[in-house]
Amino acid sequence: MTKIKRRTFVGLAAATTTALSMPSIAFGALPRVVVIGGGAGGATAAKYIAKDSKGAIDVTLVEASKRYYTCFFSNLYLGDFRAYSSIGHNYYGLAVNHGVNMVHEWALSVNNAAKKVNLGSGESISYDKLVISPGIDLKFESVNGYSAEAQSKMPHAWKSGTQVQLLKNQVKGMKKGGTFVMVPPPNPYRCPPGPYERVSMIAHQFKKSNPTAKIVILDPKNKFSKQGLFMEGWQKHYPGMIEWISAETHGGIKKINAETMEFETDLDTFKADAASVVPAQRAGRIAMNAGVNKGDWCPIVPGSMQAQADENIYVLGDASIAKSMPKSGFSANSQAKVAANHIRGSLTGSKVFTPRFANTCWSLVATNDGIKVGANYKATAEKIDKTSGFISKTGEDSNLRKATYEESIGWYSGITSDMFS
Amino acid sequence: MKSKLVLLSIVFSLIFTNSIFADQKHLVGADADYGEHLFGECVTCHNSTGLGQGIPKITGMKTNQFITKILAYKSKEKENAVMQMVAERLGEEEINSLALYLSKLK
Repeated sequence: MTKIKRRTFVGLAAATTTALSMPSIAFGALPRVVVIGGGAGGATAAKYIAKDSKGAIDVTLVEASKRYYTCFFSNLYLGDFRAYSSIGHNYYGLAVNHGVNMVHEWALSVNNAAKKVNLGSGESISYDKLVISPGIDLKFESVNGYSAEAQSKMPHAWKSGTQVQLLKNQVKGMKKGGTFVMVPPPNPYRCPPGPYERVSMIAHQFKKSNPTAKIVILDPKNKFSKQGLFMEGWQKHYPGMIEWISAETHGGIKKINAETMEFETDLDTFKADAASVVPAQRAGRIAMNAGVNKGDWCPIVPGSMQAQADENIYVLGDASIAKSMPKSGFSANSQAKVAANHIRGSLTGSKVFTPRFANTCWSLVATNDGIKVGANYKATAEKIDKTSGFISKTGEDSNLRKATYEESIGWYSGITSDMFS
Repeated sequence: MKSKLVLLSIVFSLIFTNSIFADQKHLVGADADYGEHLFGECVTCHNSTGLGQGIPKITGMKTNQFITKILAYKSKEKENAVMQMVAERLGEEEINSLALYLSKLK
């Protein structure tokens, strides 16, 4: 998604276009918050600032897509547990229920000194506080031989949308008894259990229609999230189908070739009939442009989610360094509420409560076999520190696993309602 | 911490002796604004408008029913890893503020 396309305004309010160039005239003395990115961090922040300020803050959400497909649960679409349409959402609820101004444009750059966001159309929007929640960009070059061109042969499918549809088609169309190669990303990355849930869902597809197929995971890591639980589940549901090869075993992926579908490692050269390559990641480009990054990610103030580099900018979700929280939709949603409360307090003088962070990640291993991991966090001077947590246990009762899966469905309904309505 | 535990045990015993918590005046330290803020943590999972599939609806829950359930998760008497974790860091002020806010929701 490197090409910037000119987008049109959604036209929810005719006043929006006028307001962009003359915010102070159109909105009087109302303080203005601009939010870039309409995912779990940005949509939640826009909603809570607008909802809780009850009209005292003007909120504009800049998001290029009119229909947003969540990354979370895109694996369940791969496994035929969800329809593609069920993971798509629009922003009408934010506009109609909470008065959020929707601007369906690309945010190109930030002028920190003038406190303005420049849009792809050439317009700019002024802000008093800016929230940047752009998610991730992919570092294609991190895997030798992978590229933006190669993504059609070996989809990363790590930002939901059409890449996931492409991957599903390739999985379903793979030759009988063929080999699927999965390359997970190195740490840190969006959705730590995601690559392994993806493997589970692909195995689920193969079990139904291609039972002699194999899956090889060439991991750049030596361990992964929920490892014991996934491996137990793979043995139980897909015996002999999945082989996980750690970095210390294969010695590193030296080169891949999207034309020949070959993966060269010290251990062997693996030939794939279909593949998914998820490269290393970094904060979305607008965060770099705003100068709030330090290397690939953005350091934040743990108690507020303000960028360490600019107190008028807040960075949420995957783009932030929110150690010890994982990069997840749940984390971004939790961080957004902390930031929204802090922003409202600084602009209107409303009470700022002690920040509370939480995360839970559910994964599906097979039909009715759900697992989960979660933690509470508190802000310290240095980081967002884990205070307690839990993880599903190996050997759990099947009724509990089914309840965990059903709980994940409830969570999806809850968080998407929290974000978009 | 000890005093909080004592207070919680008092709250707990009161629930079983009468329905005093149906009366909002007895929600010690309750603050509806704080409750609304804390409620943001609940609605990440509890859909406030849907059917409650997989995760029960909590809007419309009676005050004493809410407090009883939260305390049962807090004591780990009631099973659910996520809810036990949520309840673990809710003190009396938080529980009562949430209860007060919930009682004001339709």
